[in-house]
Amino acid sequence: MAEYVGIDLGTTLSGLAYLKPDGNPEIVPNSDGERLTPSVVFFEAHEDVKLVGSAARDGGEPDRTVFQIKRYMDDPEHLVEIDGKKWTPAEISALILSKLKRDCSKIIGEIKEVVITVPANFNELARKSTIAAAEMADLKVKRLVNEPTAAAVYYAHSQGVQGRILVYDLGGGTLDVTILNVEGDNIRILTSEGARHLGGSNFDEMLLEAYAEQYRKQTGAKLFTDERHRRRVLQTTEDAKKMLSKLQRVNDTVANDKNDGIARIDLTRESFEKLIRQMLTRTVMLVEQALDSAKLKTSEIDHVVLVGGSTRIPKVKTVLEKLFGKTPKSCGNVDECVALGAAIFAKRSARIQEVCNASYGTLAMVYNARTGDEKLMNSIVIPKNTPIPCSRTQIYQTSEDNERVIEVDITQGEDEDAKFVDVIGRITLEVPPNRPKGCEIAVTFSYDENQRVRALVVDKLSGRSREVAVSYKGAGVLSEEDLKRKSAHLRTMRIE
Amino acid sequence: MFKKILQSLSRSQTAKTETAKQVPAKNPAPAAHQARGVLNQIAQPAATPSKSQTPEELCQITPKMSKDQIKAQLKLLYRRYNRSASSLDSKIRSEADQMLTAIVTVREKNFGEI
Repeated sequence: MAEYVGIDLGTTLSGLAYLKPDGNPEIVPNSDGERLTPSVVFFEAHEDVKLVGSAARDGGEPDRTVFQIKRYMDDPEHLVEIDGKKWTPAEISALILSKLKRDCSKIIGEIKEVVITVPANFNELARKSTIAAAEMADLKVKRLVNEPTAAAVYYAHSQGVQGRILVYDLGGGTLDVTILNVEGDNIRILTSEGARHLGGSNFDEMLLEAYAEQYRKQTGAKLFTDERHRRRVLQTTEDAKKMLSKLQRVNDTVANDKNDGIARIDLTRESFEKLIRQMLTRTVMLVEQALDSAKLKTSEIDHVVLVGGSTRIPKVKTVLEKLFGKTPKSCGNVDECVALGAAIFAKRSARIQEVCNASYGTLAMVYNARTGDEKLMNSIVIPKNTPIPCSRTQIYQTSEDNERVIEVDITQGEDEDAKFVDVIGRITLEVPPNRPKGCEIAVTFSYDENQRVRALVVDKLSGRSREVAVSYKGAGVLSEEDLKRKSAHLRTMRIE
Repeated sequence: MFKKILQSLSRSQTAKTETAKQVPAKNPAPAAHQARGVLNQIAQPAATPSKSQTPEELCQITPKMSKDQIKAQLKLLYRRYNRSASSLDSKIRSEADQMLTAIVTVREKNFGEI
């Protein structure tokens, strides 16, 4: 049985690694002989089989193929309907995890418990959906770990480096920036920032538009009119993008499926870099945000580490080199280091100090006695980047006489402007009648190592209190019964 | 110096409604926006990008602002709209995307391309 197993459940590629007896992690290939499995599922119409991986990606039936499901892990309304059955993102992800588990266990033995990686800014529902997917695939999740943390763990392990490391993880669908400190065997995360919907697939879509424009100019016709052909051209643009990381110029020919002629596409690395320049500027702004968040200057970063397939783009390295004044380092295979780091994390999690990924607080009318100003604000109780586990308390006052029910909204977000944070829950506490306004209420938030939050509200006068686990229980979250049923059903499926 | 008075979302919205009842507004105040799923966003982001507005107008950058002020404003807006860009609501996400494009455009004009 493999004791320490890590899984990178990626937007475009997924991988499984285990820790060998010598303490070094290794990627376990799937049954198709591939080290990484495309996160694509194809629902075959004629045979009762679900294809996962390259076969699914290259299948060519877009109506029955699911790509990039990870982008929807926190969307309870996103359902994929195939042959009348509606599949949730967690169920689709469970098929990918099942393929990894079934294939890899043939090589390394039974896999029971795993560490799964998630983007640093994955919210509560996305994390829950990931755990649900694993449970459906009959995998017990030991811990979820943020992807850049896993990558940094691998980098620190393989390179033996010390000091402050900034991890720039530009994958297929997301960008994560994490800053951490390595001292001996101990790793302390300082901050993580993320951008959803910013990754290699955005660059592919931009190239696709450029191809379509050139095709229109040369032939006067549309390059694609249906999803099937659009997918084919998209695959071509992805290949062209990869070529441009190695060559200065790529020549290509494309045609639509209506016999409107062939167009010659002439792409240079320079024109591609121009195309994606604004997106790369966004990534630089996220790096700056992470530095601000950790109160660090670029000169205080000892190592810049590149993770994720999109960091193969030469311009990414150039931009970061200009910003930091030092050459960014790659941690070996940029596509594999997250899974490899997750396997190490499975054994060494006790030596890794993580932080709150977001600030938690409540809404309060804050009155400034000196200026007389008052405004509704997001009042933060636990600031982002507080080392976890942790617990913090703030004292508030009631706003009205004879208030019978105290309502405490639980906010998530750093902005002091209440318009730019999310209310993720509410605690109501009934208190005795006939009390004046201004009674003290203590609000305590606790944050555990699994990134779960609890909130406690105490009315100091009466001693009444209420504590809740802050967790999303709405649409999209399966009950225990549902999970067991779906897990049993999944075990009967043919997944190749 | 600071007194913090608990104010729940429902209470602040009730107060808004009562104010709106007293003073008939030309444009009704937006109700609290219930985003789908986990995120219950309090309101739409303040700026709704309009095609007629320049990137500077969208980012509330004025000619009198110093470079440091512009930088600080762009950082604040980037933090806000990068967060909105993850919204499940495609309208909010699309608006955030337009704002991020405006932020990058203003940055490039004032501080050069990367």
